[in-house]
Amino acid sequence: MKNAGKEGLFKKELVLEAVKQSFIKLNPKYQYRNPVMFTVEIGTVVMMFVCGWILSGEHSQGSFAYNLIIFLILLLTLLFANFAEALAEARGKAQAASLRKTREETPAKKIELVGEIFLNEVHIVPSSQLVKGDIFMCEAGDIIPTDGEIIDGIATIDESAITGESAPVIRESGGDKSSVTGGTKVLSDKIKVKVTTEPGESFLDKMIALVEGASRQKTPNEIALTILLAGFTLVFIIVCITLYPFALYAKTPIPISSYISLFVCLIPTTIGGLLSAIGISGMDRALRANVIAKSGKAVETAGDLDVLLLDKTGTITIGNRKATNFYQAPGSTLHELIHAAVLSSKSDTTPEGKSIVELGKKMLADNPLASDKFDKYQSEVTHQVNFTAETRSSGVNLSNGMKIRKGGE
Amino acid sequence: MFLATLLLAVPLGGYIAKVYGGQDVWTDVIFNPIERLFFKASRIDPVKEMNWKQHLVVLLTLNLIWFFWAMFCLLNQSWLPMNPDHNPNMTPDLAWNTAISFLVNCNLQQYSGETGVSYFSQVFGLMFLQFVSAGTGLAAAAVVFNALKDRTTDKLGNFYNYFLKSCTRILLPVCILVATIHLFEGTPMTFKGIDTMASLQGDTMHVSRGPVAAFVAIKHVGTNGGGFFGANSAHPFENPTYFSNIVQMIAQILLPFAMVFAFGFYCNKKRLAWVFWSVMTVGFLLLVVPAVITEVRGNPYIAHMGIAQPGGNMEGKEVRFGAVASAFWSIATTVISTGSVNAMHDSFMPVSGMDMLLGMMINSFYGGVGVGFLNFFIYVILAVFIGGLMVGRTPEFGGKKIEAREMKIAMIIALFHPFLILSGTAIASYLTAHDTNMGWWFADAAGKHNASGWLNNPSYHGFSEMLYQYTSSSANNGSGFEGLADNNPFWNISTGIVLLFSRFLPIIGPVAIAGLLAGKKFIPVSNGTLKTDTGTFGLLVFAVKVIIAALAFFPALALGPIAEWMKIH
Repeated sequence: MKNAGKEGLFKKELVLEAVKQSFIKLNPKYQYRNPVMFTVEIGTVVMMFVCGWILSGEHSQGSFAYNLIIFLILLLTLLFANFAEALAEARGKAQAASLRKTREETPAKKIELVGEIFLNEVHIVPSSQLVKGDIFMCEAGDIIPTDGEIIDGIATIDESAITGESAPVIRESGGDKSSVTGGTKVLSDKIKVKVTTEPGESFLDKMIALVEGASRQKTPNEIALTILLAGFTLVFIIVCITLYPFALYAKTPIPISSYISLFVCLIPTTIGGLLSAIGISGMDRALRANVIAKSGKAVETAGDLDVLLLDKTGTITIGNRKATNFYQAPGSTLHELIHAAVLSSKSDTTPEGKSIVELGKKMLADNPLASDKFDKYQSEVTHQVNFTAETRSSGVNLSNGMKIRKGGE
Repeated sequence: MFLATLLLAVPLGGYIAKVYGGQDVWTDVIFNPIERLFFKASRIDPVKEMNWKQHLVVLLTLNLIWFFWAMFCLLNQSWLPMNPDHNPNMTPDLAWNTAISFLVNCNLQQYSGETGVSYFSQVFGLMFLQFVSAGTGLAAAAVVFNALKDRTTDKLGNFYNYFLKSCTRILLPVCILVATIHLFEGTPMTFKGIDTMASLQGDTMHVSRGPVAAFVAIKHVGTNGGGFFGANSAHPFENPTYFSNIVQMIAQILLPFAMVFAFGFYCNKKRLAWVFWSVMTVGFLLLVVPAVITEVRGNPYIAHMGIAQPGGNMEGKEVRFGAVASAFWSIATTVISTGSVNAMHDSFMPVSGMDMLLGMMINSFYGGVGVGFLNFFIYVILAVFIGGLMVGRTPEFGGKKIEAREMKIAMIIALFHPFLILSGTAIASYLTAHDTNMGWWFADAAGKHNASGWLNNPSYHGFSEMLYQYTSSSANNGSGFEGLADNNPFWNISTGIVLLFSRFLPIIGPVAIAGLLAGKKFIPVSNGTLKTDTGTFGLLVFAVKVIIAALAFFPALALGPIAEWMKIH
């Protein structure tokens, strides 16, 4: 997925949004998920009470200014950790939002079957207004506004924005290569497309949702690291709590602010505060390399990869069966076979059938006598039996009563 | 002495690896028939392989049985045979503490051997426990060695087999050698009771004797540390000459060294074993050198009084050893969790005291037989985890990934050590600070019940006494700042609880982690693997250990030895 260009680290809107979020995230229900920062938050609250206590006349805890400074430093620590996380989230969301915007504002040439003045009028509407069942038209140079199925026409389409495939692909009505994806670009010809998805459920929307949703799950290494950090925090809680009776014995009273400061210095505050920001930015990094990671675990696994083996049919190979020659059975001529094969494959829209028609027409073109006879046959066609997956057969009925069938019936 | 031990340890490590690997060794000739008889009699199949959970169940059950046997011996020793001095039964709390402390290879002795126990208890209770607790540690380490081999399995050998082999092939031969040397040096080995002699002043003195030589041997070889006599290896009978001092030193450090090399030979990771050993040695040297230097310099207060101290700080030390040997011994014994002493630790300078404490708090520079390696293994897991995340790869050790479950276990084990030490000391200091009336829990010689009576020294040194006692229990060391009056219910019971947790949790944890790792899929070495047999990794392990120990214990140390040191200067 090509992204909307490299964004500066401190774009104004992102920063403002992050600042707002960092205050909202002070809510204990949210902080609770990060044990290290949660304990820092508890320490901050205790310091707040101590400050209040001093103001009300307590003398054993040191001066008010000292305690107030410690309280402010703790608060800033919390806010900064939240800010980093919010900023990372905002950047991720901005990527997704910009992707969504391009999609929503693409102009679509909607075809009104019964228009105000004419039939089949073309109106230009933003792609967000297209609903399932609408028909729109795309010409060379247009960007397809939303997912759909080609009902008329054939075109070459550049799908590199979605699939990364650099060579343009051919899409046409009928057959199994008739669907188009929103966001891709038409390179030639003209097609009429019928919309197949509701707004918000297109392929692009699903991919954006993936990117947004994945960044919030915890990766396996993150979980293990959180356990490590929680363990350390626990040890240092014990260290700080047991310091109180030690000090009691040594007759050196230690004020509460010293306990809390010692505690915050001992626990891995930096890692604890920045861990979630690291996780999110990992996803972001992958996106910038044009890799969509469906989960955080995928990003971690990517770091362990040494060799990547890809097997892709269709790039060097065609990937579909193709007719290359006709071999007649003894007792019939080559041209009889060609006629029968081509006639029975005329309503077979699979690549196999199309290739038979193509090969037949090519071979007939060398022989004017045979191609004349073929044209006569063609004009006598009364009924076409289309190829379906259930019957696995197709064919034609001729006016002289002859029925030509091919397939698996 | 250090180099001599190293030279002896490397081949011993190879021998140990062969024993555990099931290969033939020269001691097979003597012991195989005995072992076969034993297994047949008890109907245990020594070939059936167990997974790590079964190993732990067997280990814990055996230990439980031995505990009850020891309690029985100690509580009934007045009427059991072999009690020529007619020593009385032990009080229940002391018996409980002693039984546990010998069971966990700690050998914290809140009693004095001459008057507290009979020969029967010494030989059949305590010496027996010294052998089997060392054997348990070695067997647990063997299980971990087996698990760390480069393949995926959950069959990790047979515990009975490992245990019996540890006792017969490894401990017994070395002990016989050490005991014989001691016999020639003058250690008594008799079952007769107290002897009398006339002293230089003309009074009659009572001199305790006993089966000392055998006891001394296993005391050191099994890194137990419980002395036959109360003064431990400071007693002239238990440690007669400078040469026997050297032999006892080598005997102590020998097996902990050898176990590291055995790991290298067994798992075919010799370079990794050298890295581990170097980390341990660097730590050991960093602790030993300052201690020796301070002891040689002497006590500033005495110097202030104008008294010359040519031997250094000789308070509490034996003249035949001097300050250097005593300082070296004290650090060595705390680092390998033996706990035997050849001088009184309470009389050492604060810096030496701090180094002793640090050696026990980290508890994995060499460490005790078997379990030292297990403790070190935990730190290695932590270091591998941190290192792996730093280079951006999933952490893996020996080709096996380390995931959340192993991390949880490692963190719990690493957490318990500081928790036990600090909370124990906290309770004790709180009670002392408030000088509470302890009632039944404590009564000093004058009959008073106030908590501050148990300290022998005031202020910071007193704090060090309490801190040392709990650290020593939690590190399964067993030495003590014996100014502390510790033969009373409070100290017996609290240190007993600490002993129990701190022995079995650090065995259960690493065995569990190793067992879990053994069952995982083996990932072969690739370009991006974090190499564990390099100096960089050794540095990382050392840094992790120092940081965890320093951060967790520094506040407590600051109020003990460090404050004392600052006061002196």
